[in-house]
Amino acid sequence: MAKKLGKKARKFARKGLQTVQKQKRKQRTFFKKKSAPRGRGLNGEAPDENEENLNHERNVSQLDQNVGGGHVFDKNIGNLLGEEDEVELEDDFSDSDGYLSEDTECPYISENENENISRDDTARGTFQEENTEIKMQIAKQKKELDKLLAKDKEFAKFLESRRSQLEQYDRMVSDDEEVEGDEEEEEEEEQEEQTRQPVTQTTLDVWCWLVTEDPNSPALRNLLNLYHNASLFGVITSRNEKSAQIVSHEVYSTVINFVLCEADGIFRALLGVAENSNAERILMKLKSSKEWLNVGPLVKSYFKSSIKLLNQVTDTMLLVFLLFRLMSSVVFLHAFSSLGRRLIKILVRFWSTGEDQLSTSAFLLMKEVASQLSSDYFNICMKAMYRTFVARCKFVDDSNLARIDFMKSSFLEITSLDVQQSYLVAVSSLQRLGDVVKHSSTTKKKEDLMKINNWQYINCLNLWVKFICLNYKENNLQQLFDKAVRVIFGVTSLFTGPRFLPLKLKCAQMLNDLSLTSGHFIPVSSLVFECLDLTGVVTGKMDGDEEPRLKLSTLLKVPGNLLKSRRFQEECVRSSVEVLCTHFSQWSFHVSLPELSTIPLILLKRCHEKATVESVRRLIKRFIDQAEQNRDFLQMKRDGVSFSPNDQTSIDNFLLLEKSNVKSSFTQFYASMLQNSQIRNMVK
Amino acid sequence: MGKRRKVILPPALPPETPDEEFEISDEDVEFFSENRTFTHFLAHFDRKKIDKHVTRVADKSEDEIERLYERRNRNNAPLDSRENDLQVDPVDALPIKTLDGKLQYRTTKKVRSEEGHASTDLTGEEDAEKQGTNLIRLTKAERNKKLKKEKKEAKKLKEDEDIAPNSPKEKIHSEVLKEVEEEISAEESFGVKKIKLAEIGMALLEDPEANIRSLKELLDFCKDKDPQVVKLGLMSMLAVFKDIIPSYRIRELTDKELAMPVSEAVRKTRYFEYTLLRSYKSYLQKLIELQKEAIFKLVVVRCMCTLLEAAPHFNLSEKLLAGTVRNISSSDDVIRKLCCEAIKSLFKNEGKHGGEGTVRAVRLIAQLVKKHHCQLHPDCLEVFLSLRFDEDLGKHENKAEENNKFTKNKKGKQEPMKHLPPSEKKKSKQELIAKTRGEVYADYKAVSFAPDSEKRQRMQSDTLSAVFETYFRILKHAVDASDPRFMPETSGSHAQPLLAPCLEGLGKFSHLIDLDFMADLMSCLKQLSGFRSGTHLQSKTFNVNSSGSDRSSNRLTVSERLQCCIVAFKIMKSNLDALNVDLQDFFVQLYNLLLEYRPYRDRGEVLAEALKTMLWDGRQHDMQRAAAFIKRLATFSLSFGSSEAMAALATLKQLLQKNTKCRSLLENDAGGGSISGLVVKYQPEATDPYLSGALASVLWELSLLSKHYNPSVSQMASNILSMTNLKPTQNIVNPSLIALNPIQAFWESTVQKELLKSMNAKVPPSLKRKRKRDQDMEYYVLDPQKLRNIDSQVIGEEEAKLRFEEHFKVLRDISENERLKGELNRTLASISLYDEFKREKREKERSVVLKSGKKKAKVLVKRSSS
Repeated sequence: MAKKLGKKARKFARKGLQTVQKQKRKQRTFFKKKSAPRGRGLNGEAPDENEENLNHERNVSQLDQNVGGGHVFDKNIGNLLGEEDEVELEDDFSDSDGYLSEDTECPYISENENENISRDDTARGTFQEENTEIKMQIAKQKKELDKLLAKDKEFAKFLESRRSQLEQYDRMVSDDEEVEGDEEEEEEEEQEEQTRQPVTQTTLDVWCWLVTEDPNSPALRNLLNLYHNASLFGVITSRNEKSAQIVSHEVYSTVINFVLCEADGIFRALLGVAENSNAERILMKLKSSKEWLNVGPLVKSYFKSSIKLLNQVTDTMLLVFLLFRLMSSVVFLHAFSSLGRRLIKILVRFWSTGEDQLSTSAFLLMKEVASQLSSDYFNICMKAMYRTFVARCKFVDDSNLARIDFMKSSFLEITSLDVQQSYLVAVSSLQRLGDVVKHSSTTKKKEDLMKINNWQYINCLNLWVKFICLNYKENNLQQLFDKAVRVIFGVTSLFTGPRFLPLKLKCAQMLNDLSLTSGHFIPVSSLVFECLDLTGVVTGKMDGDEEPRLKLSTLLKVPGNLLKSRRFQEECVRSSVEVLCTHFSQWSFHVSLPELSTIPLILLKRCHEKATVESVRRLIKRFIDQAEQNRDFLQMKRDGVSFSPNDQTSIDNFLLLEKSNVKSSFTQFYASMLQNSQIRNMVK
Repeated sequence: MGKRRKVILPPALPPETPDEEFEISDEDVEFFSENRTFTHFLAHFDRKKIDKHVTRVADKSEDEIERLYERRNRNNAPLDSRENDLQVDPVDALPIKTLDGKLQYRTTKKVRSEEGHASTDLTGEEDAEKQGTNLIRLTKAERNKKLKKEKKEAKKLKEDEDIAPNSPKEKIHSEVLKEVEEEISAEESFGVKKIKLAEIGMALLEDPEANIRSLKELLDFCKDKDPQVVKLGLMSMLAVFKDIIPSYRIRELTDKELAMPVSEAVRKTRYFEYTLLRSYKSYLQKLIELQKEAIFKLVVVRCMCTLLEAAPHFNLSEKLLAGTVRNISSSDDVIRKLCCEAIKSLFKNEGKHGGEGTVRAVRLIAQLVKKHHCQLHPDCLEVFLSLRFDEDLGKHENKAEENNKFTKNKKGKQEPMKHLPPSEKKKSKQELIAKTRGEVYADYKAVSFAPDSEKRQRMQSDTLSAVFETYFRILKHAVDASDPRFMPETSGSHAQPLLAPCLEGLGKFSHLIDLDFMADLMSCLKQLSGFRSGTHLQSKTFNVNSSGSDRSSNRLTVSERLQCCIVAFKIMKSNLDALNVDLQDFFVQLYNLLLEYRPYRDRGEVLAEALKTMLWDGRQHDMQRAAAFIKRLATFSLSFGSSEAMAALATLKQLLQKNTKCRSLLENDAGGGSISGLVVKYQPEATDPYLSGALASVLWELSLLSKHYNPSVSQMASNILSMTNLKPTQNIVNPSLIALNPIQAFWESTVQKELLKSMNAKVPPSLKRKRKRDQDMEYYVLDPQKLRNIDSQVIGEEEAKLRFEEHFKVLRDISENERLKGELNRTLASISLYDEFKREKREKERSVVLKSGKKKAKVLVKRSSS
């Protein structure tokens, strides 16, 4: 919390500076265009994006060799996105102000009681000091002003004439971020200028009690309105004190807590839906019923306020809390598509940028939305996620490897909810990826190659490969599989030379994955031969261990200076051995393994002879030994059988028993090798 | 109108003179003082009326008077100009105020008209520019006519201009003209030159004989300072020469011929030829001279190449050829391409020059290669591939001649037999006729352009020997280079840039190689193909020459080594009967090179070609060898991409089909080596196919290949597998696949081709729509445990409450802060406004003081005045 506070304070302090203001105003014109129609939904995102951009710039300079300038990627986003048809539905916010008409019967108790509503001064955080300081300054300056006023009578008049100019100062302080939302909310307020007395804790308690006793109570409306106010708190209070219905922190937290915790139950009770019943069916039934007419606006208000609250709150834990509360009532969103969109947008933002817990819970809620609601929601979710993923995977380094992994896998979770729909997206995306390769292979221009040799492309390809792997077994994805393999081979055919080894290794890994899930044979070994040829030409010094390990997983193209270094070779050989390992282990009990391993083994032996680095030699030697053991074992077993190569069933049944038994040393070796590689590729 | 006004206006205008200038003589005074009555009429003088009358038109305002005068003058102006033989457009007339103005008026006129000419010239130039370029390339009659018309017009205009200075005011004109000329920018003069060029070119094209002298003028353009003009000059000359060069070679006249009196026509032609030749010569000299300068290089090369293509028969073509060949290995892509194309067209259109050009070009290239120690761009050897050798040339003509002779002889024999009885006179007459005929024939031969077959044959053999000399030189060089003892410093794969086209050429012309060279050539190729195999495998005994260092042969790329094998086989094939060379070594090479092959680094098509020429085409192989290759190819296709695999499988299939005994490899014969050779157990790492013992192996690979992701590969594999059931005599399994040779198979399944396959956007029916919607959803990728943990990590209500309270406070404080800041700013601003206020106040005061001061002053003035 303290950290958060500090962050917010810093942010706030930044606002005060004039240069920052100027800059922001400049930027705002840029962002405004983009986010204006979305209302407050993306308000917070503008600075976020900003930061992100900065980050990217930093990354660019860091990775300098690895990546080839941002422009390529930007151009690519459009290409890689399956769809660009992000149709913004008209926000249906304008049709209601977010407030519900209240029943006047509902008691306001504040007049009767002398509750102490003065502010307590506990835990004010950093702003307290600043505020008191400012107060002191104001007093000082005011004194001076008074002096001046006293000195010159006419000055007062003059000041009066300049009033409008002075008031600008007020606005300047506060309006730098909320501009987009302002119009909307100010409208709302003008409408609700009626009497809104401050609500006291007692009143609130009574309301809560009333509502718990009888969900139909009119107090519910009051409560929801109060909740709405709470969601707006902090946005509006600064300028107009109208909505200062909430004056104490207790009221604020109580109302939010109460509504968040109870709303779902109350709505369900009002609609007469059981807690655990199949939501959708009942909802469909209720959609036209009388109860819904009454409850609908309440639910809408609830969601709207919650969404605002999500935008307001900065504390991760609170956001997680909020998201979890919303999860149970996701079903109701069905009736409010634009709210759903807004929620999804916020969720995607949390998912892609939030902290660990927040992004996970955002994902969970998103999954709930995608699975519970109609397929439209699923589509929106999936496409928004894909788009965000594409936009955010331009760079890979140690810091965001985990994030990209998480994004990938959570996207896969969503897509596998409805394979049929995501299939279409996969087809079009892969088609695009293939087109890029096709184009590049005909032109062979450098800029075209750069379109492929970047993380965005590789990550997208990898994403769909994973999608195929995940769903291949249960679905008929042969077509996608074929295309993916072709695209990957196309990519490998475009890049030759040791500099692109990391890229090739990545392709080989993908092919291995595909082969493993599909059961098709894919000749992967030739992809690493080039790598094996490279060994033995170490030119760099035999530097010690202090040198940081080179991580091929965060590289696509090896910088030239590393090409002949020892650590690069080490990594290269290790990775290629891993690739071969996966390849061999997949077919480790197939009849033709001895033949499969023939050429790689010959090359490995050569490589072993050439290698000068001891660690490399050891690694290769071990692998050769194990692979030979595997080969000998199979040859021995094979000598005992009498079927011929054309007897497919016998071949399939060959060594089935041994396959299930994983005790053989080579199997264990493969397994440990793969495990090691996984550990090594994890973020350190 | 003017006339009418003339009438109205008083004839002279004395009132202009001021009063002071009127000198009133004493006499007059006297006279008037005496005769007062005379002045009486003056008393009754209605001055106003008279004024009105006299200055009726002009009295409105002074300005109007001026304008009137102007107008009047303007009306006079045309008259003046007509006197001077100048056309003056009234619109262009400038208002005149002084007498000088007249002159100015006229000269401006002149300048203007000149400028007008210039501008028309300019537009003409633009056209000319366009058409000038056209002229250079396409000399279409219509365009030329049009251009000419324009030129004529331009000329006329020029003449007009020339006439103009002859006008009376010549001096002034010429001065002005000079100025104007100076003003004409370099661009315009460039334009003028362009026009001139176009004119001369046009004239030359129209009537070369008459205007042949202007070639010299054109040549002068090539000495211009402006490189642009020089370029244009070169290009125009190129266009002209291309068009007017005759289709024969101009012969130097002998003294005797010169001395002989000739007719007018002949003299004219001689003169024409002489001039043409001389200027052509100097043009070529100029070209060669300019070639050294970088800016002209491209233009010069273009000119040379075009000329060479257009007139390879003409005099001095040797120079052209030398110039072209010199640039054939240029590092500039454009120049190199141009030269190569020119040489290629020279080779292709032998009819134009009767083959002499070919011989010369080939020799020049051979010299070039020799001079540069084979370090040239591969393109310059590739031109040899466009050479055409007519094998039947000699035979055919010889036969024809023989036939001729035979018939002649026959006739001759018969004729004399027949005509023997007639008198001696007749005989002598016949002899005479035959003699004259022979003479005529000889003359005709001498004159006619087409060389006889004998000569052509000779030239062809010259060409061939030069070509092979080059090829052998390159091979020799490569062999030397591959030996580290000779050239230890050369490194890199491009040490032999010429080897690839050389091998290709050898392959193409393999049937023309002299048998004497065969043995040497083969040993060369053997060495080049990496005879020592350069591997780390257990070297078997076959290595005869492998005493050298191990890696030496690795200098050549795999593709090049494969090409060596291919060439050897081609040579072998085309000279099958004459040669008895054992190609076993090349098979060994191929067998091992299969392991060296790397996709995308080496050219897959070369591998496919090697497979085709060496394995697929052959009739029947030794069983051991066939089995070894079958096994190796199967293993090979397990490790490489689908296109390589396809090529390998196609070969494998062919081998299986031809060598029926090898089909035993398809079956796992429990008994084992009923047919296995010397080696009982299969040695996959053996380097010699004979010693691999492949016959003892089983093609297990095919079972895995039938699971290949690529449907065509898997189909091919299962296809081959199904051959097991065939009887040895049966062959065809699937006609569609059998037709594929390795090269086709390779191209069929390249990555690029595969990528062209598009996807069907239809959703396959078997896809799942939605999965379970239970609360306890399964997770596929993410760790469900972790996700569940998230659940438990969610804060409780109490904490949430606390945090919300905190949040509220922060928000409140922030809003408070904002409010306070606003207030502070406002106060500060108010204070800062005080300064402004003060200033304004002071100004006000000052202005008040000033005003009051002024007032005071005014009052004082008033008072004083009053």
